Amino acid sequence: MALLEIRNVNAGYGKGPDILKGLSLEVEAGTSYCIIGPNGAGKSTLLKVISGLLPPRSGEVVFRDVPFNGARPDQVLASGICFVPQDQAVFPEMSVKENLTIGAYLEKDRSVIKERMERVFDLFPILAERASQDGGTMSGGQQQMLALGRALMIDPAVMMLDEPSLGLAPQIAQQIFSTIRELEALGITIVMVEQNAVRGLELADWGVVLDLGIVRFEGPADTILDDPRIRELYLGKAVGSGGTT
Amino acid sequence: MTEILQVTIFGLLLGGVYALFASGLTLAFGVMRIVNLAHAVFIVAAAYATFFAFEELGIDPLVSIIWLVPLFFILGVGLYMTFFVRIEGSPRYVEMTVLLTFGIAIMIEGLLGWRFTGIYRQTQPSYLTDAYFWGDYIVPAGQLYAALLSLILLIALWLFLRFTRVGYGIRATMQNRDAAQLVGVNVRRVSAISFGISTAFAGAGGAFMSYLFPFFPFRHWQWIALLLALVVLGGMGSLKGAVAGALILGVASSLVVDQIGAGWGPMAFYAALFGILLVRPQGLFGKEAVA
Repeated sequence: MALLEIRNVNAGYGKGPDILKGLSLEVEAGTSYCIIGPNGAGKSTLLKVISGLLPPRSGEVVFRDVPFNGARPDQVLASGICFVPQDQAVFPEMSVKENLTIGAYLEKDRSVIKERMERVFDLFPILAERASQDGGTMSGGQQQMLALGRALMIDPAVMMLDEPSLGLAPQIAQQIFSTIRELEALGITIVMVEQNAVRGLELADWGVVLDLGIVRFEGPADTILDDPRIRELYLGKAVGSGGTT
Repeated sequence: MTEILQVTIFGLLLGGVYALFASGLTLAFGVMRIVNLAHAVFIVAAAYATFFAFEELGIDPLVSIIWLVPLFFILGVGLYMTFFVRIEGSPRYVEMTVLLTFGIAIMIEGLLGWRFTGIYRQTQPSYLTDAYFWGDYIVPAGQLYAALLSLILLIALWLFLRFTRVGYGIRATMQNRDAAQLVGVNVRRVSAISFGISTAFAGAGGAFMSYLFPFFPFRHWQWIALLLALVVLGGMGSLKGAVAGALILGVASSLVVDQIGAGWGPMAFYAALFGILLVRPQGLFGKEAVA
């Protein structure tokens, strides 16, 4: 049984057309996924639907055999799925430590919060160094680390990352990717949307190609990387630019 | 010199009460993006409640704060859940809040006018005319109590926002509503609580208004203009800004009244607002882009 199932979901914004058009996808525990596809394919929309930010127009999201029927984002989070959006979204006027503390907003046991914070500080020593600095004054890469650290504070089963390397210098992006690898090692199921498809697929176990609101192909990430058709249709640009953002 | 300092003392006392009035308004905008044109009418309504509690039951205005705060908190939460939840997520949400609160303001004003008529009222507690003397300086007792209690309420709010779980949720929602949802803050609940706090502050403010500033139902329009000016000056949604703006404009208008003439007070107030906004369009503590 899949950990997370997206069944026949249609979704869109406001009165606009459907962005997701009957999309179905199964996510297995302990596997990492990289979702690729052209702009407008519905990658970010899919993550927003799963996280509860965008209620689907039809279809359902099922987690551990329980359907989320219009669950709010805080309820989705409480069940163990967290979402790190594209813009990193740290709280600019809160210190690093406060940003992390609020990451565990749903956890009431202070000793658990403390343990988790230590784990985050182990993973990201830079956050420990800057614990009292305001989130808004950190560099893009540090804010991304803070966003990842904050997501870890909830101790999630599934972590969804929307373009974690967006706007970061290649070297910093590399650092973020190796951190994501460490998160996988912690047993967290990663579902990632990545513009830098080659990098993302190298990192992930399973590749999912989205196009026009449905899953066009899926398979082991390395076979997707090697598939000449997919390379031509969806990876052409990324391969051409040598995998830099 | 003595005179300037004396006037500054008056200005600070005035500014302390303004700060209480304005902080509730800025909280509603900061957390819920509600431009609450009814904030001042809540204060006036609370002033009426204080006035009649004093006249009929002999309850001191400052004591009335004890029941006004919980009462207005409950009213605020009720109003939020009844009206504002319906317009959540509307594409013109902020504009809708302006219309909605405008309507609420007119309705409450009408009810107050119908029930209590349009005559001026002022509670007359014994300390209204008392004063403390500090060297050469006069500190009016009623204003001092109001400013000190306002300060205590503002500090309590600050501690609440800083150190409680709900407080964290409120601050997170003010800084980034989407991210707050993503860390598990139930923004609707937090919004209802914040609106309750905002109206609770209006309730406490009404106790002070009842004896410091003579009132009648229509008066609230004058107040809301002044309070919006304070909030815009401080930066929409910034609590620090509202407090700083209130103190600055309180002192500035007192100085102008003293040095130039009473008629110039309100004008100086808005002139200072224009001046500051020319230099800092986002207000003293505002963020560059408030969506």
